[in-house]
Amino acid sequence: MKARWILIAYAAICLLALMLMLSRENLYVVIALAAGFLLLGHRELWSLIRHGRMPVIDERVQNNLTGAMRLTGIFFFIASIVLILLFRFNVFKNTPKELIVSGQLVIVGFVYVMGYYYYDRVRPCLGEKAVKWLRICLITAGLCLSTIALAIVLHNLVSVWFGFEDAFFFILALLVAPAVLSLSLLGCLAIYIKGLVASFKTVEQS
Amino acid sequence: MKTRMKEYRARLGLTQEKLAEMVGVRRETIIFLEQGKYNPSLKLAYGISRALGAAIEDIFILDDDHT
Repeated sequence: MKARWILIAYAAICLLALMLMLSRENLYVVIALAAGFLLLGHRELWSLIRHGRMPVIDERVQNNLTGAMRLTGIFFFIASIVLILLFRFNVFKNTPKELIVSGQLVIVGFVYVMGYYYYDRVRPCLGEKAVKWLRICLITAGLCLSTIALAIVLHNLVSVWFGFEDAFFFILALLVAPAVLSLSLLGCLAIYIKGLVASFKTVEQS
Repeated sequence: MKTRMKEYRARLGLTQEKLAEMVGVRRETIIFLEQGKYNPSLKLAYGISRALGAAIEDIFILDDDHT
């Protein structure tokens, strides 16, 4: 019952925001809000369409929702800080701000959905070894992102301080770190998909 | 944690869907419980054992390394 009212309130807020943004012709934000609503409320909407009722929220679902919310909150916080810094240094000079913020909202929605399915389906079907590898891949990806930022700063500092074009930090920031980042993200995705496929098989076979 | 939920459920002729409805959880929760992939709260464990008409320690068996 509580979940139903939360969904209705959320839908009403989204509708109001959509109308407001449409009236201001901010189409990017309208699309982002609509996509965000579909992503966040996909379980409820699917259950309403398929069974004509709201899905049951038991203790396992509550734990999974809490985990996904926490993950989304952390991601949103970090992404916001990165975006603020990028805006501060005028990186997005020629890109509309609405597009960037809308993109962030949609990505946050995807992170929530992926986080929810991780706790709900993927995690129970992954072995300890796979979880360990997933953690290693995620930490590596995080380290690579920090390395890219640090190497860009160091490359510029070396150029300013010593007056010559540095090659080491340049290659690190543009080649090595992005390559390792791509590999670790692919690893994460592969483990995630493996767990998701295993979970769907488990549920179907039972 | 090992469970004998499946055995007791089969004895009573209950489907996973029916048991989930009786206990007030999702079918997936019953599936993961039966496979030992989810540890229930004490409240849920009581609810399940009551629905299956057995003692809680007959249905949920703690592994030796967790005792």
